[in-house]
Amino acid sequence: MMILAKIALGAVGTMAVATVYTFREGTIRVDVDEHREGGSHVHFWVPAAAVPAALHFVPDDKLQEAVDRSRDALPIVQIVAEELEKYPNVEFVTVDGEDEHVKVSVKDAKIYVDVQDHNDEVHVAVPVATIKDIVESVANRRQAQ
Amino acid sequence: MIDRVRKYVKAFSITTAAVLFMTPFSAIAQTNSASASSGNDRWLHVRVVSSDNKGETVRVNVPLELAEKVLPAINKDRLHNGKITIDRSEVQGVDCRALLEAIKTTKDGEFVTVQSHDSDVQVAKQNGYMLVHVTEKRWNEEKNSKEAKMTEKSRVEVKVPMKVVEALFSGGKDELDVVAALHALSAHSGDTELVSVKDGNDTVRVWLDSKNSSD
Repeated sequence: MMILAKIALGAVGTMAVATVYTFREGTIRVDVDEHREGGSHVHFWVPAAAVPAALHFVPDDKLQEAVDRSRDALPIVQIVAEELEKYPNVEFVTVDGEDEHVKVSVKDAKIYVDVQDHNDEVHVAVPVATIKDIVESVANRRQAQ
Repeated sequence: MIDRVRKYVKAFSITTAAVLFMTPFSAIAQTNSASASSGNDRWLHVRVVSSDNKGETVRVNVPLELAEKVLPAINKDRLHNGKITIDRSEVQGVDCRALLEAIKTTKDGEFVTVQSHDSDVQVAKQNGYMLVHVTEKRWNEEKNSKEAKMTEKSRVEVKVPMKVVEALFSGGKDELDVVAALHALSAHSGDTELVSVKDGNDTVRVWLDSKNSSD
């Protein structure tokens, strides 16, 4: 009985710590809805902390390909991500039309891109810290190669 | 035995409760420190309002500090290290630097007024600002009259602190130092309406202030 209780307590404790650790940076959320016949609906969220960790398992040649394609953009993204941490709640761009709405904002240190027109809806939310981690991780891998 | 389990559960519950209790405070502290760091920032706002049947409104809010740091990282076409290379053919032999030097040393007043059939252009220096007003004209002939009536087609008003203009031309001979201009702009105190355009159904405003929203 005692052993079982200890095991249960250990399991619950480990799960709690693992959950807190996994979700410490929040979640990346992507929602795509095409409101038409045959339109696709994609909804997923992943723990943000898992993405930089997953990058370690990307084969070097694939990563190099991605780095080559984003060579010009990486330093810009890195600076923007670093700077965005100073602006936790801001609407950077908003477009309001008759049947389309676009918003790029930062709220609670998460970048939100929301696009809505009469047929489609796209919502993306990514923690700023995750973007920074990804860029740093890619830069470190590039230096190591 | 049950007592010992209870003790473990109690200790675990207290620790978890303490962690959960402290988490919002640490988040608030982070937010506050971040807000404080952006409290004195200068923001560049752009608002485009189109009053045609689609009625679109575009609002852009950019912290100058962010723009100052991002621009040098962009190297594309004529923009390198925060500087734009001027094509000599575009300025048609005008020595902008000499022109600026002349404006700097001149007293406040109107420097250039060009009135033509299609447009009026006024360039002036006033209270440390460089002002440029351009009005495009439209001539409408009335049915029962031989005289054409002039109406305003578009109006552009630019008001830039002289220090910003000086900083813009502080780079090399054929380049505009945009980062230096942004730096000078961020050092400029007070709210300033930099550009205002009224063209048909469209209105464009570019201004500078210390608020992070355009409303």
